[in-house]
Amino acid sequence: MDEMLVALFLFWIPVAMVPLGLWYSMSSPLKNASSRGRLFAFTGVVLICISPWTVPSSPSTAAGHLLGAIIGPCMLILLGIYLISFSGNVPVGKLPRSDRKLGVLMTGFGFIWLAGMHWWILTPQLSPNEVNHYWFVFWPTFIILTSCLASCSAVTLLMIGEQRKAESNAMFIVSGLSFSILILGLNVDGPLITADEFREHLWLAVADLAGITVGSLLSIFVFALVIYSYERSLPAPKSISPPTESELKQVSTLIASHLGGEDE
Amino acid sequence: MLLAFLLPPLLILAIDITFYGSFKGIDSNVSFTRFSNATLTAYMLCSLFLLGNLFFYGESRNRPLAPLVGMFFATALGVVATVFFIGQGPMLLEDNGSVRAQAIYNVVHMFVSSGAILVAMGVALGVTFSAITSQKQRNNFELEEE
Repeated sequence: MDEMLVALFLFWIPVAMVPLGLWYSMSSPLKNASSRGRLFAFTGVVLICISPWTVPSSPSTAAGHLLGAIIGPCMLILLGIYLISFSGNVPVGKLPRSDRKLGVLMTGFGFIWLAGMHWWILTPQLSPNEVNHYWFVFWPTFIILTSCLASCSAVTLLMIGEQRKAESNAMFIVSGLSFSILILGLNVDGPLITADEFREHLWLAVADLAGITVGSLLSIFVFALVIYSYERSLPAPKSISPPTESELKQVSTLIASHLGGEDE
Repeated sequence: MLLAFLLPPLLILAIDITFYGSFKGIDSNVSFTRFSNATLTAYMLCSLFLLGNLFFYGESRNRPLAPLVGMFFATALGVVATVFFIGQGPMLLEDNGSVRAQAIYNVVHMFVSSGAILVAMGVALGVTFSAITSQKQRNNFELEEE
């Protein structure tokens, strides 16, 4: 079979299956649609993860390889944060207090795992000593954005929240930790990634984030413009004739019967 | 708040200027190429997503065709602009040999960047939420109880 067709069936269609499955699971009114949609999306994720072996000729499948490499630590971090959050003071869905320690362990282990991909032997490699180039996209983007968002969240808590100094300090610590990882990456070589390579890709990640922000805002602006133009072109709604004497009389009778109330 | 958001990259720049006397590691041509490709691809993919959302908007407006056609042309303009600018030569071609290869690379690159953005947002929002829920429960109704 043609290489492009193989890539279409074993990489691009599975990529499309993920959002379609999620959309179906959330929007379909049918019974069992939720589980069917999730299964569809999960099958897509599995097919993407195995695409480096099913479609070795396509360079795009390196993204599938990266997904397989980072899905473990990312899930550990997010599940850990979920456990920490819901074992605290929440009005609904409260988890046992013991889940907090498990959550901290999972989150910490997830971050150590990701750091091990930079400074240890866990780096995603397409072949021996060939680092997956999409790792250079994911890692700097994730670290710098986490640091930026945590710093923004800390200041927001101080400015908008009332007596949120302790929470704000926690966010400053997260931002500081992410920033420390960045500074370490800029100065300490890993076994396969040098500090200079990381520096180069860090600024490319910043350019990427700026481009994504500009492009997304531009498309949202165009979308708003299209809706605004359409709504403006609609004719004004027809005005109805004023109420007649008999209608006014009926309304005043109704109002009068509901005024006053009964003595308690 | 915006300054707090921009603080980490600004700090790195300040450290670089202090210790090396210049913006070490920034190649403005390569960064511009990445910025342009990211802008075009984000516009194209975000427009496609919003075009899909117009179907839900149409449900409350007797399914009008005008906004759908308008947004379709806006999305098509993004696709044409992407292909046109990449086809202009080495300006937007990174390490890829053809327009098609660069366009596909841009889309896959965008998926990876979006994944990193989603995980970072999940971590930042999740840690903020867990920092709030880990504090002692507040009583907002002290006056009412008195």
